[in-house]
Amino acid sequence: MIEVNELSKVFRKPIRGTGVSGMVKTLFSRKYEEIRAVDKISFTVPDGQIVGYIGANGAGKSTTIKMMCGILTPTSGSILIDGVEPYRRRQQVAQHIGVVFGQKTQLWWDIPLIESFKVLKEIYQVSDADYKERMDFLGEVLDITRFLSQPVRTLSLGERMRADLAASMLHNPRILFLDEPTIGMDVLVKEKIRQAIHALNRTYGTTVVLTTHDMNDIEDLCSRIILLEKGKILYDGPLTSLKNRFGNIKTLTLTVPADIRAETAPVLSPDVALSEEDGRLILRFDADKTALEQVIQYAFRDLKAMDMKIAEISIGDVVKTILEQQEAEHAEKI
Amino acid sequence: MLKKYKPFLRAGAIDTMAYRFNILIWAVITVCQVACLVFLWLAVYRSSAGGMDAEIHGFTYREMIAYVVLTTIFNFVTFNNDTLWNINTDIKKGTIGNYLIKPISYRGKFAATSFGSLLTMTLMFGVPLYTAALVTLGCLGFLPDLTFPAFFAHLALFLLAGLCASLLNDTIAYIFGVLCFYTSSGWGLNSLKETLVAFLSGTLLPLAFFPAGLREAVSWMPFAGMSQNPVLILMMKYDLAQSLRCLALSAAWIVLLELFAKLLFTRAVRKVTVQGG
Repeated sequence: MIEVNELSKVFRKPIRGTGVSGMVKTLFSRKYEEIRAVDKISFTVPDGQIVGYIGANGAGKSTTIKMMCGILTPTSGSILIDGVEPYRRRQQVAQHIGVVFGQKTQLWWDIPLIESFKVLKEIYQVSDADYKERMDFLGEVLDITRFLSQPVRTLSLGERMRADLAASMLHNPRILFLDEPTIGMDVLVKEKIRQAIHALNRTYGTTVVLTTHDMNDIEDLCSRIILLEKGKILYDGPLTSLKNRFGNIKTLTLTVPADIRAETAPVLSPDVALSEEDGRLILRFDADKTALEQVIQYAFRDLKAMDMKIAEISIGDVVKTILEQQEAEHAEKI
Repeated sequence: MLKKYKPFLRAGAIDTMAYRFNILIWAVITVCQVACLVFLWLAVYRSSAGGMDAEIHGFTYREMIAYVVLTTIFNFVTFNNDTLWNINTDIKKGTIGNYLIKPISYRGKFAATSFGSLLTMTLMFGVPLYTAALVTLGCLGFLPDLTFPAFFAHLALFLLAGLCASLLNDTIAYIFGVLCFYTSSGWGLNSLKETLVAFLSGTLLPLAFFPAGLREAVSWMPFAGMSQNPVLILMMKYDLAQSLRCLALSAAWIVLLELFAKLLFTRAVRKVTVQGG
């Protein structure tokens, strides 16, 4: 279980002048700028949950993950990983967690992949029987057996990421932190990675905290999401309630005759928004307020629709809307 | 518990082997340096008041040449150490995170790597070089008559002192490496460390040549145990009691410095700001 309580992290960054004169000035007087990367956040993750930790670049996601796995020390507040503070008892916590940073590899660059695994086996003191079992499992779900004898530097990005994931799972961690595990991956690799995370979660009940910018990852994997913006939690809860945050929004995309235009078309009610995109009409409405049936009738009868597509709002749209609203509010304050 | 560090020990041993050509080139340079030093000391003794028979600060010219040759071999074999640079790189590139998330101690990792490197260096270069030097110097009469049981006792103590010296050097390198957390630059710290150690360990000049006050102060510092004392133990300039005292002093310093390093790392690691993300 992960318990995060009133967690904050403030970075102190020297303000540097520009150009040569600025550099000389910085030598003598140092002014610091405080950056609140994480600002008093609290949440609890029970065992076996897969949590999506999302937010814009620089929202504080990676900083939180780094504090949870013991790399960074919080400025204030606390984190308990199964009751232990990772930044105080680093080694003890490290034995039970696995971490992948999508941007960096933790494997030894010049030695064959299998040698990296053997080193990890010794560092985490994995028994021979467990090691064999894990390697079989990971070889299958991540499909890494083929390139085990190659040095890591010769692997493709997708292969390397799968290898990194396997490395983080080798000691059967109770909690897995994945910081952008699908960054730069093609669809097939993404799919494989998601399947592996699912398999791991099902087979071993591993708790997973993952950050990503790919909303498909979230929809595929996470039962819960935490949305972070400027170091604060904007939303924490199940995926479905976030989707319904703006009501049960549906969109209808219609192919209509050329004479039907968004500005001139008859209006059903103010709740049904009309817009136009690539010569098609888009109807956006809350299905809890206006019945879907009614809108479809209206589309065929009044708008002379020839074809239509019904879609639910995507999680990506919701997050985008929330972040845009935040930005607008922020801009207003200034 | 120590088993976790076996891969690092192995890596240290193997990496050293992998760089054997570098080491060979380095060996050639070292031989040139020794030649210079030998001629320098010969010139010093020739022009001294007592001539070639003089004894300067307790060293005859024969002993001085033996000292110069053995110290150079000793430093070459013992101080093959990348700890400071590796810490500096870890901090600069942010790879330190990779170790902080593993259930191992950062210090232990470096100690194991250095020990692995020491083993390779001792077996690959130490054994042949020491043997060649001792035989040559012995035949030329530059060493006292080696009475064998006593020599073996000294040899054993010398090996222990060598281990202590390597550990001391690694701990000091580690401490300076951790200071890179604050300076973000290893270059200056490395020069400082190298100069300090070269001067105070007796590599440049035996400590007997220092003024009395400084000599007394330095004799209580850890540095003499890193070069001068092990060599003087091997040359049997120290009797057994004095040799043991030197070892005890080194051991005490190892404990002290390791504690200090631990304290320093605990403080410094709070300063970690990993790049990116």
